[in-house]
Amino acid sequence: MSSAESQPRFGQSVKGLLSDKVGSCSGDVIALTRQVLKGSRSQELLGQAARNMVIQEDAILHSEDSLRKMSIITTHLQYQQEAIQKNVEHSKNLQDQLRHLL
Amino acid sequence: MAATGDDATAMDSISRVPAAHSAAPNLTAGAVGHTEGPEDAADSPASAPRKPHTNSDGGVETAEEAVEPAEPDINELCTDMFEKMAIFLQGELTATCEDYRLLENMNKLTSLKYMEMKDISINISRNLQDLNNKYASLQPYLDQINQIEEQVSALEQAAYKLDAYSKKLEARFKKLEKR
Repeated sequence: MSSAESQPRFGQSVKGLLSDKVGSCSGDVIALTRQVLKGSRSQELLGQAARNMVIQEDAILHSEDSLRKMSIITTHLQYQQEAIQKNVEHSKNLQDQLRHLL
Repeated sequence: MAATGDDATAMDSISRVPAAHSAAPNLTAGAVGHTEGPEDAADSPASAPRKPHTNSDGGVETAEEAVEPAEPDINELCTDMFEKMAIFLQGELTATCEDYRLLENMNKLTSLKYMEMKDISINISRNLQDLNNKYASLQPYLDQINQIEEQVSALEQAAYKLDAYSKKLEARFKKLEKR
């Protein structure tokens, strides 16, 4: 088939045939590249991965927000514990006084 | 007879035209053509097809294909064509590479965020452990506070009893005073 195509056809020059052949080879290379990319399904998979990550980002931000609130609450608890510690040291005197009263 | 003669000449002209327009890059023809090129170039312009030469070698008659001289900038055009093909194919592949780069950047940012969250969690855990220890050390005081509360309740009960007794005493005293 190639030999028949390479022979000059009636009314068509070898130059034209050559340019046609080059064009068809280029088209074949392009089609092959596209087919390889399409067959690997990389576009779909990567797009799906990016979409899933965007969905997860909301949950991640919410988690981060909750953690920051928890750290603030922990700091408040520490302040309260220090205040309790200060006031609780007076309880010994109170107990002695009450024991004397009773 | 005349018709067949005309047909024969027409067939000859037709068979000669493709040979005249053929521009196959035939190396042998080119090699032979180069040796005989200057003579033809001097005779005809560069774009005109060269006449086929026939050689008889040991009784076998061979013919060379008539070729047109190549365009002077054909190499440049071919190079340009292949470069552009390479750029196009590179562009096709770059799209997938860019997708991977996007995912890589997103993963890096997410990992940074998770590291920050990890640090925050470690701090919270340490603070809560300290708080638990401090509250554990406060336990005796809390027990004392409970005891104080019980004692205060007992004191209150005693005060109520005392109040009631004193009221009874007052009432009895007033009764005795009236007699």
